[in-house]
Formats: sequence, C-alpha cells, structure tokens
Amino acid sequence: MGPKQIITNAFKEGRTKLLEHEAIEIVKYYGAPVAEARLAKTPEEAAIIADEIGYPVVLKVVSPDISHKSDVGGVIIGLHNREQVVNAARRIFDNVAKNAPSARVTGLLVQKQAEKGLEVIVGGLRDSVFGPVVMFGLGGIFVEVLKDVSFRVAPITEDDAIEMMCEIKAAKILEGFRNIPPVDKKSLAKVIIAASKLLEENPEIDSLDLNPVIAYPTGAVVVDARVILKK
Amino acid sequence: MSTGNDLNCFFNPRSVAIIGATSKKGKVGRVILENFIKRFKGRIYPVNPKYSEVLGLKCFPIVKDIPDPVDLVIIVVPAPIVPTVLKDAGEKGVKAAIIISGGFRETGTEEGKRLEEEIRKIGIEYGIRIIGPNCLGIYDNWSGVDTFFLPDEKMRRPPRGYISFISQSGAFASALLDWMAYNNIGISRAISYGNKIDVDDVDLIEFLGKDEKTKIIVMYIEAIKDGRGKLFIENVRKVVKNKPVIVFKAGKTARGSKAAASHTAALAGNYDIYRAAFRQAGIVEATSFDEIMDFAKVLLTQPLLRGNRVFIVTDAGGIGVMLTDALTKEGFEIPVTPPDLKEELRKVLPPHCIVENPIDLTGDADDDRYRTVLEKLLPKPYVDAVVVGALPQIPGMTFKIVDYLSELKDKYGKPMLVIDIGSEEAVKFKVELENRGIPVYESPERAARALRALYLYSIYRKKVG
Repeated sequence: MGPKQIITNAFKEGRTKLLEHEAIEIVKYYGAPVAEARLAKTPEEAAIIADEIGYPVVLKVVSPDISHKSDVGGVIIGLHNREQVVNAARRIFDNVAKNAPSARVTGLLVQKQAEKGLEVIVGGLRDSVFGPVVMFGLGGIFVEVLKDVSFRVAPITEDDAIEMMCEIKAAKILEGFRNIPPVDKKSLAKVIIAASKLLEENPEIDSLDLNPVIAYPTGAVVVDARVILKK
Repeated sequence: MSTGNDLNCFFNPRSVAIIGATSKKGKVGRVILENFIKRFKGRIYPVNPKYSEVLGLKCFPIVKDIPDPVDLVIIVVPAPIVPTVLKDAGEKGVKAAIIISGGFRETGTEEGKRLEEEIRKIGIEYGIRIIGPNCLGIYDNWSGVDTFFLPDEKMRRPPRGYISFISQSGAFASALLDWMAYNNIGISRAISYGNKIDVDDVDLIEFLGKDEKTKIIVMYIEAIKDGRGKLFIENVRKVVKNKPVIVFKAGKTARGSKAAASHTAALAGNYDIYRAAFRQAGIVEATSFDEIMDFAKVLLTQPLLRGNRVFIVTDAGGIGVMLTDALTKEGFEIPVTPPDLKEELRKVLPPHCIVENPIDLTGDADDDRYRTVLEKLLPKPYVDAVVVGALPQIPGMTFKIVDYLSELKDKYGKPMLVIDIGSEEAVKFKVELENRGIPVYESPERAARALRALYLYSIYRKKVG
C-alpha cells in the first residue's frame, strides 16, 4: 500500500494516528531503513510472517485504543522460533482480553527484533510559518531530560542532515565513546531525509516521531514510528 | 498579498502626498511634513480638507485634486477615515502607501480587525502596495523619505551610511536610530512595518538585497507571517551571497504547544525553529542588543576571514590573556609564534617585549612599535586576523596609531579589531578608528563574539561560493 492509500484508509476509519505497521510502511516508502514489521490477525499468521522476516522477532498488540502496550501485557520480545511465536501471540491475546477488555484489537505486529545499538530520535512537524520541520536527537535521557535536539526546515539535503547531527550538544557520542562505537551518519541521514519527504509530500500528516531509531557502526533501523494526521 | 516586488516607489518617490498634514504643533501630520520639507528633494503635497495652505505649501482637500502624478501617499488620519482616503489614492493611480495611523488589528477589537481587512482589500483592488498600518514607516537617508514622526530634537537622525534596518517594532527602530546617531554610525534605510498587512520582511529583504546603497541588513523580528517562512529563507539565501544579514529575534521564550500529540511537537519551541531557519538561510544571529551593533560594524568594515587563526598584539599583558580566553571560547586558534617570526620580532623589539602570541609590546610601547610588529605579522600566511589591544593610558600612544592601523588594514586586507578601554581619551580613539573602518570594542569578550560572527559568515560565503 502506498502512502496516499494508507492515509485515506486511516481517515475512513476515523483515525488521526496511523497504526504501527502503517507508520513503518510509510517511513520505509520514503527510503528509511526500518525493522521489518507486518500485521498478523492470528497466532498462526504471526508464525508464518516470523518465518518470512527471520528470527528473533518481537510481537506487539495493535489497537487504536491502547497506547501503553507493555502495561497490558501486549509486548513480548526475544522470540526465536515458530512455537515461541504462536505461544506468545496467544498469551498477548489473552492478556489484552483480560487487562483491556473494551479495547478494539486490530491484530499483532510481528517485527524483526533489532540488535542493540545507539538509540536516537528523528521527528517531524508542521510549523505555521516555515512548513515542514525535522528534528534529530539522541534517545533516552538526552531527549527527555536535556532536550538536546536540533531542527531544520524541510526539504533538507544529506549535508543538512549531517549538520543536524553535529549540532546537538552530545554530538561527540555519535563519533564513538569508550564502549559505544561510532554510528553510520549516512544511514541516519536517510532516516531524517525520509521524515522530511514524508511531510513535504503528504500535507495530511501533522507530525511524526521515529523513536527509537537504532544506529549502528554500519546502518540504522527505525524500530518505532508514530505518525499523527491532521484532525 | 500582492505579487511582484517593486518597492522603489516607497524609497525613491518623485512626489509624495501627506494625507492628514497639519500645521498644529505636536501633531504627527506636522512632524512628518516638516521632515519632508527639511530633507526630501521631490515634490510634496499636503492633503487636508481643513486648510488651503500648510507650512507654506499649497494644501489639497483630497488626493484626487492634486494635478500631478503622486508616487507615494503617507496616511496619518484616524483609522475610520483611512479606507476612504486610501480609495481616493487608488483612484488617483497611486501605487504605494505608508499608513502610519494606528487603531486596527493591534487594538484587539472587532472594529479594528474589520478596518484592517477593508484596507487590505482596497490595496489589492487598486494594486496599491502598503506599508503598515500602525507603523513608523520609512527613514531613508538617501532620498529623504522620513515618516518617522519623532521630531529631530527627540530622535536624532544618524549620518548617511550603508546599514539598512528592518524592524517589526517601531519603538526599537527609533531608539536604535537615535543611538546610532549618538554613536556616529551611518544608516542607509530603516523600515518599521507595523501590522504588515502587505509589505513584510520577505519583500523588504528582497528589495534591500538588490539595493546598492545597502551593504548590510539588520533585522528585528518578532514573528514572520504564517506561510512566508520558506520564501523568507529563499530570499535571504540570495542576499547573503553578496551582503550579510544580521537578525535579532525577540520573543524567544514562547514554547510549542504542551498538549502536542507527538514528542517532536512538544519539543519544538518556536525559537528553535527560527534558529534552524536562520542557520539554513545563512543569517548571522545576534542574541542581544549589544551584539546587533557589535556584529554590524565588523561585518560592514572587515574583509572575510580565510581561517580561524588569530594573533593578538597588545600593550597590556592582562588584555592579552583575556583575549586568549575569549577567542578560544569562541572557537578560534591562538597559534604559537613560529620560530622564524620570533627571530624577526626579537630583532626589532626591545628585549623585554614578549614575542609569544599574545605579542606583548608592554607599557613603554609607542605607535611605531605597533606598526613595526604588525608589518611583520600581517603578511604571514598563518595569520587570519589580528586583534590589537591598544589601551590608550600608556604614555607612548598617540593618534598616529589611527593612521598606522588603517594603512595596514588596507595594505594587507585582513580583519583587524581593536580593544580600547577607558574614559574620554579612549572614546576619542574609538571614534577616530571607527571613522576609518576599524571596529573597536570595549571588552575582549565582545570583540571575540563579533569576530566569531564574521567567521561564521565567512564560512557560509565559502560554502555557497
């Protein structure tokens, strides 16, 4: 499904937020490397998808009514084979039925489990004066506590994206520090450019968070994407 | 909003009509008319149905009665009458209006909003470009257009120069002009655009960018109009290839909506986005009042920096150390004096002078000692800029140093800044040096910040070719 169709579907269903797999799909469409993710309706379907995308995988409940999935037992990680996936999927359905009985359940997100790396956040929003704007920062406390982020008005070039990374106060961490290896800035730039294009080409999108994006010495993957549509 | 950008009628009109001109003392309509009589070389038509003559000039009841073409109207009548007189001007074929009058959207009333909308529509209907309403308008030091309704004795007019100034705030514009006059800093054109229902920063940047009487643009911005941000960046980018743009952004503390649906929207303060845009556009951002003029004078007078290596020449060790700290903090390198230069300097300096960088000529220095050292230093390829600490308290310092420094600056084409601290004597040196295009700072920190501004602009220019 292309971006336009994903957005149209969301509006049809009265949603102002894309579901996880839709958000990942749309980010991938604009050239960002993503942790492959697909929607399964049943435990068996989840197992088939897991076989296709490769292990280990993570399962997450997909529901327009649940925003804190872990709190209701809706996330299980570290699944290494078919059997584990089927069991975990059943457990999630049970947990959700018990802990959030009134929530609508769209299905399960089966996602390739990303390896550990440096967590960063890439974001985008629409400013009334400048139009689409993108943001970059390190994840975790850097963004939560220190608000150490940088911005650019879209559209941006690869040079702009790299400048954004150099501009944050914790920029040195991206170069590698003690046991943290340096990150692949060009791969991260692809993620920021994708965020920029996504906003430029889809005026219906109000803002987005790609959080976390995991950065490696080679490559990077978008693990979680939240895309908010205009009301 | 009208398209096209011929703002020339505002700055170089052949004739102006002042609607609401009066001879009553203390009235805006009188101050503006007096300003024009004093400095404007084109034709002036007072318009006011109550008089047949104002301050010796024939007065017309309405604009349409003026027999000749009118390039610019200046409107100072009360807000409710503005639509009528603006329409008259439109029927006469006038293409530019400065509306000084207040009483529009800024009042927060429905009536104010309605009137503003009405004049905006009249502007579009008749193709009149509008500056204002609720503004001071234009002070143009070359053509003599001066709608700043503050009398000369209250707001002194600066000498002619090449700094142009765009201000969202009228009060700030007049205060800065008065301050510039007092400090003998020249101005080219100053514009306060008030409610900007038509002409805004984006249009003015484009006009001043092409204006040969403007070598540097200084802006005071509170907010750019919605949807105009991209064009603002685009226009500034074109301008900064030829001349620097310094912006001071007021209203830095307004935060993004706290109830934002995404993390990003919650994190994005309004000022963060402006800063990003300034950077992308190649703007030099001044973050305080002091920096506005500190940056303007260095960017106006000094050549671009080729690198970040600075040598310090001083008559006071303390200033040398302070400068080293301040410049290092701003990202400059203070290189060790290479052995060959050390040798050269030792040959020409008394043994008690220090030839390390900072080069300390000590308290018995005189002007000639500065010249000798700078002659050796400036041609060296590893010297990108020189900061001269020239405290005037030492006995050997005379005004000859002004000639020396300005000759050396012209001869070698490298940026040169001076630190000069003290009382009346120091101020005299400062005035003389600045008249000769050498910026003088009272503190090492301010000099270092100013040099940093020049460096950032130099890098940007190199990047965009």
